Amino acid sequence: MRVRVKLIANYMKLLPPGTKGNTVELEVAAGATIGAVLMPLGVPLDDSTVLLLNGYQAEADALLSEGDVITAFSAIAGG
Amino acid sequence: MYGWHGRLLRVDLTHQKVSIETIDPKLLKDYIGGRGLAIRYLYDEVDPQVEPLSPENKLIFTTGPLTATTAPTGNRYMVVTKSPLTGALAHSNSGGDFPTWMKRSGFDMYIFEGRAERPVYVWVNEDAVEIRPADHLWGKEVPETTETLLAETHPEAKVACIGPAGEKLALMAAIMNDKHRAAARSGVGAVMGSKNLKAVVAMGRKNPAFYDDAGMRALSVELSKEVGVDVKKGSNLRIYGTAYVPQVTNALGILPTRNFQSGVFEGVDKIDGVALKNTYLITHKPCYRCPISCGRLTEVPEGKYAGKGEGPEYETIASLGSACGLDDLAGLLKANYRCNELGLDTISTGLTISAAMEMYEKGILTDEQTGMPLRFGDADAVIEMVNRIGYRQGFGDVLAEGSYRLAERYDHPEMSITARKQEFPGYDPRGSQGMGLLYATSNKGASHMEGDVAYEEVFGVPVKSDPLSTEGKAELVARFQDAFALIDSGGICVFFAIRYVFTKERMVWPVRLTQLLNLTTGANYTPEEAMQAAERVYTLERLFLLKAGSGPEQDTLSPRLLTEPLPEGPAKGRVVELDKMLPEYYAYRNWPGGIPAPEKLVALGL
Repeated sequence: MRVRVKLIANYMKLLPPGTKGNTVELEVAAGATIGAVLMPLGVPLDDSTVLLLNGYQAEADALLSEGDVITAFSAIAGG
Repeated sequence: MYGWHGRLLRVDLTHQKVSIETIDPKLLKDYIGGRGLAIRYLYDEVDPQVEPLSPENKLIFTTGPLTATTAPTGNRYMVVTKSPLTGALAHSNSGGDFPTWMKRSGFDMYIFEGRAERPVYVWVNEDAVEIRPADHLWGKEVPETTETLLAETHPEAKVACIGPAGEKLALMAAIMNDKHRAAARSGVGAVMGSKNLKAVVAMGRKNPAFYDDAGMRALSVELSKEVGVDVKKGSNLRIYGTAYVPQVTNALGILPTRNFQSGVFEGVDKIDGVALKNTYLITHKPCYRCPISCGRLTEVPEGKYAGKGEGPEYETIASLGSACGLDDLAGLLKANYRCNELGLDTISTGLTISAAMEMYEKGILTDEQTGMPLRFGDADAVIEMVNRIGYRQGFGDVLAEGSYRLAERYDHPEMSITARKQEFPGYDPRGSQGMGLLYATSNKGASHMEGDVAYEEVFGVPVKSDPLSTEGKAELVARFQDAFALIDSGGICVFFAIRYVFTKERMVWPVRLTQLLNLTTGANYTPEEAMQAAERVYTLERLFLLKAGSGPEQDTLSPRLLTEPLPEGPAKGRVVELDKMLPEYYAYRNWPGGIPAPEKLVALGL
């Protein structure tokens, strides 16, 4: 199944080489979790990262479905 | 005395008289300094019912004990007064260089009172204080005013001034320092303009000694290193500044879009920090001695939007950008530069223009009234309205009163996105419930700088909190409000202090901050005492609001946020559930009906 992965700001550098913008579409195994998709990219999966699944806060063990959008960004900020 | 000067400068503009007063050490300890000390003075000296733009209102510039110290980010000052925009309290925060220079001039606070007959500026070079004519500066924009004053006083001095917007009493006028930094919110620039005070120039070499010099220096180095480790790893604040945030809020569906008609902006990739870095960013530019360095120096080199300056911050991208439907980065930068040059708060300015745009597109406002088409996404229209607001020309004269008065005037209150008549920062509270409670209860009206629970709901600091849930938000908001009162009273920046205020259990436990305060002042606070002082500050501000007539009936939000669900995105279908959270908040604070209980006041020594 296919999912989209959006890595924001300083996590963009973890996207596969040649990715345009901050989002990449990936083919993943059925039943994959957020963690299984992000770990090979090198996204930290501890509390230094905020994960969203389709815009909702999620944990790394959340199961994915076809067409899901994963968003990850560094958990420090201001604005 | 250590840490504090224990002295304030009082400038009576009406009688052109300057006096120096000592500050009671007990007040310093009880209210810490900065925002806390200022509300104590304002409460004691100004009738809360005073007309904000009358000579009877006072304008207070204030630093904290950590301002101009080795503490990382110890470089903030605040402007405290009664707000002409909200009718409540203003406490607007700024960094840059000016705060350190002000502290080094030998005073913890400047109090400006009365009204000068003619325009003046005040030049503070330690105890040599002069009130000088400023007729030649009146009408000048911020860059020229600043340059002229540096030439007239001292090239190494620092300037805080108003632009035309403050002179003309625009209710969203800012006080600009170091040209590009703003004590922006709540119309503090209009209060300064109402006093015919164009500028304050400061310098000096007086700094209080630290109570424990070696200890303070050692802790400062240690904390700077901790911050530095993250910066070296590539922190977003260093690489992109706050401009990276639109991607985050857009992903959550809470990026203000077309005057809060949506929380998802299709043009976000064109106006975010990455786009800025790839185009107009020159370099990062820190406040004085800051290890984080989130400021941005940018330039649009040519074309009709040519200009140079600092910004945009996230808040500016959200207000002048997505809220106005604008995805033209050069145009957005120009609007930002013009706000800085005219001395305008970008948040209230942007959201007043966005309200006018919605009213125009819905046929409530006509070309005849506005003088020109006002369509979402039109950069030229945004820039022209900024200019007209700054000079109060044409329809800008109406917009200069802010979106609340605009929407009331044309009988569409839902189109003003405000709390206590002040425009929202860039987090749609329908998808960030805690922010909704924060806006509704903040002493300064809608603001992220009075307890930014977006740290938890959006950024996961100190721990993640579900932004769509109302559970536990009452306690969270109250704790963040008190924590921010502590940070603002200390005189340091929230971007640093937020690391050291909360435990992972979300308890406010400011061990490091207390250590910094103690090493600086010798006040020997326990963390409990520091937090009690912060709550004292927050509660005294509330008492000011109650007397000003801005009490519980004002603890609410514009109707749109309470009745119109978001139409798309992750927060689709949601409104702010204020009716759930507000009673819990009053109960947590022991404010029955929104009024602090007598025993609470006694416990706080009020």
